[in-house]
Amino acid sequence: MLLKALRVMILLALTLSACASANEAQPRNRIIYGLTLQPSGFDPHIHGSSELGIPLRSVYDTLVYRDPTTDEFVPGLASSWTVSPDGLIYTFVLKQNVKFHDGTAFNAQAVAANLDRIVNPTTASQKAASMLGPYSSYEVVDDYTIRLILSEPYSPLLDSLSQVYLGMASPTALSQYSNERYQFNQVGTGPFRFVEYVPGDRLVIRRNPDYAWGPSFYTVATAESVEEVEFRFFTDAATRAIALEGGDLQVMGELLPIDARELAVSQDIELMPINVPGQPLQFLLNTTVFPTDDLSVRRALLTATNREAIIDAVFQRFSPIAWSPIAASTTFYNTNLAGTYDYDPGTARSLLQSAGYTDSDNNGYLDTNGADLTLIMIVPPWGLIPDVAQLIQDQWREVGIRVQLDTVPTRSALVEKVNEGTYNLVAYYEFGADPAFLNRYFTSDGANNWTHTVDADLDRVLRDAVDQADPAIRATLYAEAQRIIMDQALILPIRDYVNLNAAQARVQNLAFDAYGWFPILNNVTVSGG
Amino acid sequence: MRLFLILLLLVISAPLLATHDPMATDTTVQRQPPTAEHLLGTDALGRDVWSRLAVGGCRTFSIAAGASGIALLPGIIFGLVISAVPRRVIAATDIMLNAVLAFPSLIFALIVLTLLGQGAVSLTLAVGLAQIAPTIRVVRGAAATVRTEGYLESARSLGAAPGRLLFVHLLPNIAPTLFAYAGVVFSYSLLNSAALSFLGLGGEPGIPDWGVLLAEGRQAFRTAPWIALGAGLAITASVMIVNRMANQVGRHPRR
Amino acid sequence: MIKQLGAAVGVMWLAATLVFFALRLLPGDAISAQIIDGGLSPAQIEARRIALGLDQPLLLQYGRWLGGALSGDLGVSLLDGQPVTVIIAQQLTPTITLALAALFVALIMGIGLGCAAGLGAALAQIALDLALSAPIYWTGTLAIWLFAVVLDWLPSSGAAGATGLILPSLVLGFHTAGSIGRVLAANVQATIPADFVLTARMKGLPERVIVWRHILRVSLLPTVNVIALQASFLLSGVVITEMLFIRPGIGRVLLDAVIRQDYPVVQGIVLWIGLVYLLINAAADMLYRQLDPRVAA
Repeated sequence: MLLKALRVMILLALTLSACASANEAQPRNRIIYGLTLQPSGFDPHIHGSSELGIPLRSVYDTLVYRDPTTDEFVPGLASSWTVSPDGLIYTFVLKQNVKFHDGTAFNAQAVAANLDRIVNPTTASQKAASMLGPYSSYEVVDDYTIRLILSEPYSPLLDSLSQVYLGMASPTALSQYSNERYQFNQVGTGPFRFVEYVPGDRLVIRRNPDYAWGPSFYTVATAESVEEVEFRFFTDAATRAIALEGGDLQVMGELLPIDARELAVSQDIELMPINVPGQPLQFLLNTTVFPTDDLSVRRALLTATNREAIIDAVFQRFSPIAWSPIAASTTFYNTNLAGTYDYDPGTARSLLQSAGYTDSDNNGYLDTNGADLTLIMIVPPWGLIPDVAQLIQDQWREVGIRVQLDTVPTRSALVEKVNEGTYNLVAYYEFGADPAFLNRYFTSDGANNWTHTVDADLDRVLRDAVDQADPAIRATLYAEAQRIIMDQALILPIRDYVNLNAAQARVQNLAFDAYGWFPILNNVTVSGG
Repeated sequence: MRLFLILLLLVISAPLLATHDPMATDTTVQRQPPTAEHLLGTDALGRDVWSRLAVGGCRTFSIAAGASGIALLPGIIFGLVISAVPRRVIAATDIMLNAVLAFPSLIFALIVLTLLGQGAVSLTLAVGLAQIAPTIRVVRGAAATVRTEGYLESARSLGAAPGRLLFVHLLPNIAPTLFAYAGVVFSYSLLNSAALSFLGLGGEPGIPDWGVLLAEGRQAFRTAPWIALGAGLAITASVMIVNRMANQVGRHPRR
Repeated sequence: MIKQLGAAVGVMWLAATLVFFALRLLPGDAISAQIIDGGLSPAQIEARRIALGLDQPLLLQYGRWLGGALSGDLGVSLLDGQPVTVIIAQQLTPTITLALAALFVALIMGIGLGCAAGLGAALAQIALDLALSAPIYWTGTLAIWLFAVVLDWLPSSGAAGATGLILPSLVLGFHTAGSIGRVLAANVQATIPADFVLTARMKGLPERVIVWRHILRVSLLPTVNVIALQASFLLSGVVITEMLFIRPGIGRVLLDAVIRQDYPVVQGIVLWIGLVYLLINAAADMLYRQLDPRVAA
């Protein structure tokens, strides 16, 4: 009886696991690529995670691309484009003879269908729609010319159009599948076809043999080119390096710094730290709550922070020190800010003293009017922020500041805590190559104005920077915006974000696009397949 | 039992044996293997692992003990009361009990931790409250066996009041079972609070606790196994000792 | 039988109801977390809430959900619009595969160790104690370190295909064996002095026969319930094992859904857990009746 039951169980388990791993003959040059989290969805028009772009960047083409070496915009599906002098009309001339993976022809009507889908409220786009900014409508001029019409000037539009969230999907597939089902049946024009997505398990893409319309930095496929990529979810950071060394997978991102340090000397593994443009790991300082409402206190906090020690200890020296509200790899970075608020506990102490803080009760913490200098810091669990927070806590204790760490388990818990408004510091950052995201954080009506700053100059500069088309003018404006933000000590920047990628040595020519997160899989080759 | 007392004594006295401030970071001595200065080495932020282990035991045990109390007190009282009610009502309470039992304790913990914020108190509540329903079931089961043995009927025929019946006649009779079960609840609480730490929902950063220590140490297990080793052994040994004690008490009831 | 079925449905309904309202205690919802990254305006967020019916009175939402659940429609995920039934169905193969493999290991280890411990083998007792005392993510980490790093025999993750199943099922099976083995050991111990065993001994039967035919057969019977309980645990998803060994499964989906406040998915999985629990218990009861002549009568 028992034996029989056992036998049935073995058989069942074997069949099931065979089913689970059964694939048709696997192509050569197949690699497994580790994703670090399971995004809440994989439809680039609907969902907004960076993780989804890692596989899908290679499934879709965009109208324009950002060249990863020059950061300039280069033709993608559009062979050329012009912008009207008032900055309201973008005219794109499209490439011809481009076919979606399902055979549908790519043309102006296809672009129109994509725009219609993205802005349709029932699509419930979390990111793509807002990336279009003040987009109001399009006009199909002919089969291969389309105009995008804006209600006001919006210079980050090309940056938006170069991202996978505005990738061009086959209108046939879009009409064939509902918004919910499309993420399992994605069809683009990119160098890889979408094969399947099994939630929680894998997403597979396979090379598109017909691909011949890539941007200038895409190389032509050869026999060594990677044929198929399977993405799997390695959510536990502690086992990522083990899996990579054990050969369970070939490419992995977001390694722990300590593991990266070990892998850096490995013969079989190549470590690839990639600077990701966008906001640095930063703490936003609440300017409306005691004691961070005092500029001297905020400046003191910055000079009391030994960023170098934090980067050495927590990030194993894998990151540059952050000096500005945008990382050095972001466009319009203000290099003049380097070295500001350098670590100097003496300055911090005198700043605090001049602000009226002394340790009158001799408890080791400064106080004013009987209130200790105590700060509440909201600490999310990701990005090694808890470790950073603890080091800051110890560093600030040296100058007499007490920090209370308020840990939040999830993103929505963080938002709730922020909405309560009683914090002094909150750790948060997002990514992007164009600093237009700053408006969301530092204009007085910004959705994420968690510093609660109201500064007419800053408002004007940031809004102008989005309206102006001329890159030189934008550069000046953003330099000014960064200067004001740091002058007002609205943030405590720690380190520029670096994604610690590593690949087995036989995976070659792996590089990442201008946004840092997304691999250019088209160019990847595999030796000794 | 004796082993358990020794364990308790160790956990309570260990903080005296701490050689360093368990919270003080020192980035010049990160992840150092054990030395005379740092008996169990140092962790990712250069803190002394031995001192953290020694101090952390108290917190870990307090959370487990607190959670056990939260589970056992109401659990036993409800269980006893339920076992005194008529059969028809039992069927209804059964459904309720089973429903609560089907409620995944993970969801429960997450709700409590989100509502109350992370920290020792909410961790204790999260782990403890989830154990009330199982306790009720065990108490009721134990009471049912006693019932069949006829104690209650004879006491009732002697005119004992219902409350007196439950707490004076029934409770002592199921005490050995309950005592053994208390051990189970304690070890379950210890393991569960550690599991929540693994999921990143347990402790507050920096504050030493075996679960947190093990979870933190695991991150560097490949390069610095000593960080997790002590906490892993401490948790395993403690649970083992408590389980053994519970087993013994359960097996040799003092009637 | 009908009464039991009624009670079972009652349990599932109550559990789902409890979860439904408990989740609503949490501040925020699946939509509020989207505000920060997507750059959505508060007006857009509100529109999203209205579209998903999250603005309606709680009782109305509940009634709607319950009505759907009764007709087999568990609603859709608030995050990606997939039907909850599909989301759960997708996780069934990996969940059941791991559960069966672990249960298989658990039965072999549990019966072997339990029997040996019951007969007085100290080492087996220690192994069982360990299985019950060590946190699974600790033994899992040690196992990964030993088998995947030091010895390099086995892959550490589910990404490695069928061989990736070995390590998780060994670790999970070992811990499950603890519960089975402990009950079995106690039963074996209790059976040794029984009359029929003494009779067999006096007949001069070989020890092997006595253990297999007489002691084990009787002692195994009461473990059916423990095995059933363990099986339902395994089938409800084992989030830590799934995370450690990079495997898909219902446990991870549940954790993600709770963290992202994707209520319909959580509610659906709670129903699934209740269903598994009830079905397996019913099966265990039936098996018990068939195997034990006393109950059958």
